[in-house]
Amino acid sequence: MRGKVIRDVLVKTGNVVTAMTAGLIIGGLIMQAYGYDALHAYYSLLRHALGNPLTDAYPLTSTLSLATPLIFTGLAFAVSVRSGLFNIGVENAVYLGALGMVLASGLLRADTPLVLIIGSLMGLGLSVLFAFVAASLKVFRGVHEVITTIMLNWIAYWLVDYVRVNVFPDPRDPSKTIAVPPSARIPLLIRGTELSASFVIAILASLTTYFILWYTVFGYELRATGINLMAARYAGMKTSRLTIYSFLFSAVLGGLAGVCEITGRPPHYSITTGISNLMGLGFDGIAVSLIGLNHPIAVIPASILIGALNTGVRGMQIEARVPFELVRLVQGVIVVSLALPGLLSTLQKYLGIRRGRREVVVS
Amino acid sequence: MEDTEATGPDECLVSMKSVVKIYPDGTIALRGVDFTLRRGEIHGLLGENGAGKTTLMKILAGVLKPTSGTIYVGGRKVGFSAAADALKLGIGMVHQNLSLIPSFTVYENIVLGLSRRQLLNAKEGINKLMSLTGLKVPLDERVEGLPFGVRQKVEVLKMLFRNVDVLILDEPTTNLTLTETRELFNVINGLRRMGKSVVFITHKLREVLEVADRITVLRRGRVAGEVPRVEASLNLLAQLMVGKDAIPAVSRGVSTVGEELLIVRDLWILSDLGTWAVKGVSLTVRSGEILGIAGVEGNGQKELVEGLTGLRRVEKGEVIFRGQRIDNLPPSELYKLGVAHIPEDRVQVGLIQDFTVNENSILGIQRSMFFRGFLNTLAWDKVVEHASDLITKFNVIVPSLFSPVKYLSGGNQQRLVVAREISKEPQLIIAAQPTRGLDISATEHIRGLLLDLKKRGKVVLLVSSDLEEILQLSDRVAVMYEGRFVGVKDVGELTEDKLGLMLGGVSD
Amino acid sequence: MSYVIGTIINLLVSTSYAMTPLTLTAVGEITSERAGVVNIGLEGMISVSALVSVAVATQTLNPWLGLLAGVGVGALIGLIHGLISAYGKGAQIISGVGINIFALGFVPYMIIALWGVAGYKQVPEAGRIPRVAGLVSPVFILCVLVAIATHYVLFRTSLGLKIRALGEEPQAADTLGIHVERLQLIAAVYGGALAGLAGAFMSLDWLGTITKEIAAGRGFISLALVVFSNWKPSLALLGGALFGSSWALTEWLKVLPGVKGVVPVTIINTLPYVVTLGAVAGVIGRARPPRKSGVPYLRE
Repeated sequence: MRGKVIRDVLVKTGNVVTAMTAGLIIGGLIMQAYGYDALHAYYSLLRHALGNPLTDAYPLTSTLSLATPLIFTGLAFAVSVRSGLFNIGVENAVYLGALGMVLASGLLRADTPLVLIIGSLMGLGLSVLFAFVAASLKVFRGVHEVITTIMLNWIAYWLVDYVRVNVFPDPRDPSKTIAVPPSARIPLLIRGTELSASFVIAILASLTTYFILWYTVFGYELRATGINLMAARYAGMKTSRLTIYSFLFSAVLGGLAGVCEITGRPPHYSITTGISNLMGLGFDGIAVSLIGLNHPIAVIPASILIGALNTGVRGMQIEARVPFELVRLVQGVIVVSLALPGLLSTLQKYLGIRRGRREVVVS
Repeated sequence: MEDTEATGPDECLVSMKSVVKIYPDGTIALRGVDFTLRRGEIHGLLGENGAGKTTLMKILAGVLKPTSGTIYVGGRKVGFSAAADALKLGIGMVHQNLSLIPSFTVYENIVLGLSRRQLLNAKEGINKLMSLTGLKVPLDERVEGLPFGVRQKVEVLKMLFRNVDVLILDEPTTNLTLTETRELFNVINGLRRMGKSVVFITHKLREVLEVADRITVLRRGRVAGEVPRVEASLNLLAQLMVGKDAIPAVSRGVSTVGEELLIVRDLWILSDLGTWAVKGVSLTVRSGEILGIAGVEGNGQKELVEGLTGLRRVEKGEVIFRGQRIDNLPPSELYKLGVAHIPEDRVQVGLIQDFTVNENSILGIQRSMFFRGFLNTLAWDKVVEHASDLITKFNVIVPSLFSPVKYLSGGNQQRLVVAREISKEPQLIIAAQPTRGLDISATEHIRGLLLDLKKRGKVVLLVSSDLEEILQLSDRVAVMYEGRFVGVKDVGELTEDKLGLMLGGVSD
Repeated sequence: MSYVIGTIINLLVSTSYAMTPLTLTAVGEITSERAGVVNIGLEGMISVSALVSVAVATQTLNPWLGLLAGVGVGALIGLIHGLISAYGKGAQIISGVGINIFALGFVPYMIIALWGVAGYKQVPEAGRIPRVAGLVSPVFILCVLVAIATHYVLFRTSLGLKIRALGEEPQAADTLGIHVERLQLIAAVYGGALAGLAGAFMSLDWLGTITKEIAAGRGFISLALVVFSNWKPSLALLGGALFGSSWALTEWLKVLPGVKGVVPVTIINTLPYVVTLGAVAGVIGRARPPRKSGVPYLRE
């Protein structure tokens, strides 16, 4: 009986590993098909992702730094999945979190840590506001969250672009917004790298999320609602209210990704044109969350994994000339593969691998 | 279908031999059943809940596969892998929850799946069939707006339009009005004249006597008897259905019956279909008393329980518990007042399958201050203590307190639910089908717990379609039939005949 | 006066362009959802097809081959999603999101891999679809025909009856001998093919270029259009015109004297999304989705 629990976890992990292998193989095939040397590319990816930690801290710190926003967005998505929602609005929460910092920097025009506090409050406030729109439309009007959140993503996108172009453009480089003042930035952990203390904040957020989900009544009810609405009602839970809270919880985590990204990543400390430095972080969170089995702690290694891919791909781009977008393509294949519930067992059947035990046919 | 034509009119059109059905969860539904159906006969299939009637017919209709046993249709051995296969051989089943598509029109439902060529003169054909059988339905209306009785006719027409020779009707009169039932019987008689065979699954004695030519009675997965209509009587059928061993000689234990704690007056509750499921039920229960509500499923018990426990709206009437109105209070409020609920569906309602034993042990009492620790957090040490307390006191066998309950056997899942509900120290416990599908030891254990509650002066409302359970536990028994109580009697007054008659809707 | 008429004609023509990808995609998705398969990967399918069709058209200098390739790629992704949904009983939403993420990487990757440029690639004049009477796109005409034909098939034929039964009550259909999985797969492929056509139209015809953000949320707006049109292809045509006009209006507003330079372009750009959000929120109470859409069909 106890074996069942362990087997369950093993099977799930096996599914993830299979999906990732599928992603890498298909990515390799696509590289090969367009004249790149896939093996060389993957080799250089691996080398740049790991480096030699003893002599060169850059690969590792870069990996952790790139993992940081993914931890936040992965958590945000995991929270929504745990409460039975498919909230793609994490993407706009990231934009808006960053927007809050830009607004605070532009409005206060002072080099003081106060900007960080006010900016994050504004950013999180904006994220929560947008999430509340989606949440109310879901709870009161029954509009599916996928539709609303995507529309809100685009509205947020253009709002941010509006601020970048019309309100607070960088006077020296109009492709960016003004930067967050130095004393409002999150300090770097290691000088000369990109790794800032926001990584620590991300770890703390992950622990906090875990704590909330498993050590508070709120988290208990959130998870119960996500798994079985009927049982939740039977147990006297107010399920609509829980749904709204779940949206807001996700928005705060997504907003933090934006805040930390813009205050804790050199060199820009601003929103760049086309929101290119933020775009897609929310979507990456979906892959991260699914790879991490939607568990707040497992989201950390999953983010580091994707972070390592993102680091390695920079080297790959230089050495094997493969565009870095390949990583997102691979992620897509991984997610599609994870949609199949019995990925591993299907594969086993297909490959003709027999289980040791024969199942008794009853029906 | 040359084989069928070779057989004479008295030959068996369908014959099922030693059919056994064991469900994947280990439940044995049929223990070797023989069943024959002649051409042009109306065959009543009688039995109470769990007798195996529906399972047997689902096997004949190709919906379920038998574990063992053989089926002959027109003398030829057949094996169905889907309902469509049975349909091709002329066997169609009208399920209790009809398989119609609500947003489709009647016509669309009838012709669904037919080829373009078959559709050419479909409307004409249906109209002809309607006048032939007397089944009048509005072809162009959407099914969702029609009353249940009409929908059922649509389903019957759908089968007849596909030229079935065997029509299986599963408890067809459950949601029908009296007039509708009359109409249905006329149709069935008409079908007999057309040479069709009908299997009429029911628990209603009078109806089966009225319409069937031959009656097979099932009891607990076996054939209890097969009687031609001329030899059948209400009493004989009731006896066959319930069995001689129904009334156990178990001491119920004495308790001092006290004040009236639960009073229900003229309760009206709607079903999911929007029809009245509970039609003016009144009851009172005193402390230290178990009121058993018996009845074949689908007579409104489920809705009654949901109405009393805050999961379904009470449209009319009042529920008074210890002097306080509690109708339409949410479950969280009811819990605070000392109402506990063992729900009928432990898999979907009573437990969260992916939650651990620990987590499930506080479902419904998660807000209790007892489980709070530092800074108002959930104190898992206290939860674990509570859970291990439950499993030792109530003999729940679990692989670990930290494993999901989906890995517990059905019996242990139910013990956990019962344990949790009793641990709430309720003044009133509403137990719906508390021992369904459990083995003997689990059953006895849970029944003992309910008796114990009663001895301690609590109120127990026991809803069960298991007669043995009702008779073993209850002080008074109410039998529910078509949304009403057929009668409320002290258990001592009941005989198996009388009970069988009440279950079949015959009051004295 | 002639200015007004010119403006109106202009708006109508640009609406015909803006509505075509939305309507095509929505009509395909309606068919798929009617059969019980929800695909939220439309956004990704539009952009992947847009890219592939440009690749083929650039190579062959034949726009029609490009269009065909776009349809084929859409159908292929639809096939994969259909296999996962119908036969694999998989999580349709996750598969759809995966398709979107894949496209997010695949399109910019291919733009670099194929042409060595980052960002966007212009379609050569010979690879663009010619216009009818110099004004209207043939794909727009095709789109209208497809919408009407799909409506006819769904609501007037026995095949349509079967498809609609799958999204409502697959079990009832199964009992009557309808091949649930096979038909669901076909519907998913059809939905993919139309999304592919929409993508090819955008790159080869309307915009004449491929960028990584070519879909710009249109896949999701099509999903909203599906809801707005109450799962009816004919209404998707009308709703498409409404949603499309908000895009046309957006472009018109941007250059309108008195607006231009006063209201920032970025703010005007939010218009189609706000309109979509409002329209769906307003209409949702009356819209009725197929009851079992998105739910894997498991037998007893």
